[in-house]
Amino acid sequence: MKQSNKVIALLLMLSLMAGLLIGCGKNDQNEDLSDKTTFTMGFDASFPPYGYQDENNEYVGFDIDLAQEVANRNGWTLVKQPIDWDSKDMELNSGTIDCIWNGFTINGREDNYTWSKAYVDNSQVVIVKSESDIYELEDLKGKVVVVQTDSSALAAFTGEDATEENKNLCAEFQDLQQVSDYNNAFMNLEAGSVDAICMDVGVANYQLEQRGSQFRMLDSNVSSEQYGIGFKQGNTALRDQVQVTLDEMLADGTFAEIAEKWGLTDSVCLGEEGTDQAYKKDASEAEKVTFWNRFADTVKQLPAGMLATLLIFVLTIVFSMPLGLLLCMIRMSRSAILRGIAKVYISIMRGTPLMLQLLVVFFGPYYLFKIPVSSTYRFYAVIIGFSLNYAAYFAEIYRSGIESIPVGQHEAASVLGYSKVQTFWKVIFPQMAKRVLPPVTNEVITLVKDTSLAFALAYTEMFTQAKQIAAAQASIMPLFIAGLFYYIFNFLVAFVMDKLEKKMQYYR
Amino acid sequence: MKLLEINHLKKSFGELSVLKDISMHVEEGEVVAIIGPSGSGKSTLLRCATLLETMDEGSMYYDGKVVAADESGKTVYVGKKELQERKSMFGLVFQNFNLFPHYTVLKNITDAPIHVQKRDKEEVYQTARELLKKVGLETKEDSYPCQLSGGQQQRVAIARALAMKPRMLFFDEPTSALDPEITAGILKVMRQLAEEKMTMIIVTHEIAFAKNVADRVIFMDGGVIVEEGAPADVIDHPKNERTRNFLQKMEK
Repeated sequence: MKQSNKVIALLLMLSLMAGLLIGCGKNDQNEDLSDKTTFTMGFDASFPPYGYQDENNEYVGFDIDLAQEVANRNGWTLVKQPIDWDSKDMELNSGTIDCIWNGFTINGREDNYTWSKAYVDNSQVVIVKSESDIYELEDLKGKVVVVQTDSSALAAFTGEDATEENKNLCAEFQDLQQVSDYNNAFMNLEAGSVDAICMDVGVANYQLEQRGSQFRMLDSNVSSEQYGIGFKQGNTALRDQVQVTLDEMLADGTFAEIAEKWGLTDSVCLGEEGTDQAYKKDASEAEKVTFWNRFADTVKQLPAGMLATLLIFVLTIVFSMPLGLLLCMIRMSRSAILRGIAKVYISIMRGTPLMLQLLVVFFGPYYLFKIPVSSTYRFYAVIIGFSLNYAAYFAEIYRSGIESIPVGQHEAASVLGYSKVQTFWKVIFPQMAKRVLPPVTNEVITLVKDTSLAFALAYTEMFTQAKQIAAAQASIMPLFIAGLFYYIFNFLVAFVMDKLEKKMQYYR
Repeated sequence: MKLLEINHLKKSFGELSVLKDISMHVEEGEVVAIIGPSGSGKSTLLRCATLLETMDEGSMYYDGKVVAADESGKTVYVGKKELQERKSMFGLVFQNFNLFPHYTVLKNITDAPIHVQKRDKEEVYQTARELLKKVGLETKEDSYPCQLSGGQQQRVAIARALAMKPRMLFFDEPTSALDPEITAGILKVMRQLAEEKMTMIIVTHEIAFAKNVADRVIFMDGGVIVEEGAPADVIDHPKNERTRNFLQKMEK
């Protein structure tokens, strides 16, 4: 592509994004319920007992039973739509789900959704390993605490409405980390890379019951909060219909029955005093956050993640390229055993998801050898995982490059008396490097985008950060800005590789 | 004095027997042309002699020194170090040149003498420039092979081989990849080398050139040496039916 074409492409992409971003802010009007036939609930499928997948792969839970009953009474078909918690706002705003109904904390999000009345009163509690020396909240000083991304526990520590008490407590932690789901959090706790998890009491009770005596809950709570059903801002028609049905269920005892079934009798609070504050709030009163405020916030917060992304990228290149060459040598060695080992390695690295490989590198030492992993290992694990994976791809690219060099080059070198090592470095390698440049460029560009997989190990690179900002702003814009940064990054990579390719054009 | 001696060489590729009991020798200063139809085994013979292929059976000596010995019907090569030493005794010019495309003409010629033979840099550069002059390419030392014509590349390849100061020089169909009008330049250089008493073993299709330059012609067919002797005998008065057939076909 010519340089001018690239600039045009960049401009085109920028204007497209601007259009998309400005179009995002519109508030929807009320939904017409007369011809509604389905009711789609969005939920995080790893949040027992509120919503999760049971051993028969059925979605079950307290919230699911409630939603089913509401749907039945209104003659709707219930669609249970599991969602990625980080994408919940996009799902809701785009209309793919009708509501977020999943132990959804109202506190701190009052202005972002049209809320039902609170139906569960929940507290944030702390879980530690049973042999841990942490007994009181004060003991968390200097420890690593993990919470779910955009969870109420996170809000309790860092949210706008966080109490001074909690903010001070959080300031004393060695680190407050975020993971995408609770299973990951427990793996981290078990492996020793974090010291404590902070989460909703209902979830905590369920998890402790399932996981046995390995873990215990601290006696004192971090904060108290309420769950509600979140609808798209302004969709009061649907919200009212659901609320009326819930009130009926409360009146005839169905609600209490379902609560008992899931062991939540002590937590439910529907109909109690003080549960309708968010419900009463008119969405239109909500303070309007302007596009530029969000934009400024995002641009302010993203660079830290960008640096992390850049670091993963550079270190992975530095390690995986030579490692790939070594692997390529083994793959092409004369020993059938070595060749076989390299072949199996490459086949596994290419044949399994990179995300899984990252998890194995990080948690492997603990689950295989019972070596506790420290939190600082997180970053090393990301680099090791990426390098091991990319080395496999580079090895195959190098091999194809080496095999494409005419046998005459080897023969000429042999007749001139070059040793094997001299032949490789003087004759084969320089020609191979030139030939593999285009496929290597492909891999490098993929790597820029793959860095976002580091979130699997709760390592906060740019995309994870963008998702966190997006969740906090309840807006899709930070993701687009992150996308733009990736594009610019790759634009530069392609530019450099293009220059390099031109530089090697001095011979054919 | 025998610079190259091969005894009872046998070579097969899988089931296919390519060389069947070949014995030959080359005297110092002698020019030997090997001719024969495609698939006669002449290229394989050359590749065995230049260590690009291993012999199955038979023995080989360079200047009386063992390269490969016949130990009860199986060929055993000398050690790696000695083999490396023997390699500096000969040079090989390939059919398709096999220059290193990423090196300039001068580096193509000087790299092995400097880094393999560990000779003095200045001396090597001087030798290389003299050789380039000899093959008529003194203005091309900074060019890359892709900037040269096929004939020029082949002349660089000859200079590269000569820069190693070999005792004998092998040519594997040096003009087959070139247009007829270009071959003249190559043949001229080779004729000049013959006049300087360079020992040469040339696999070729150029019958006229073989007759003109060679001291001895070997005709091969079906993996055996069918006939050998002075060009006046083998080419002008072939005794064997197969030689006659081949020469007749080549004339057409």
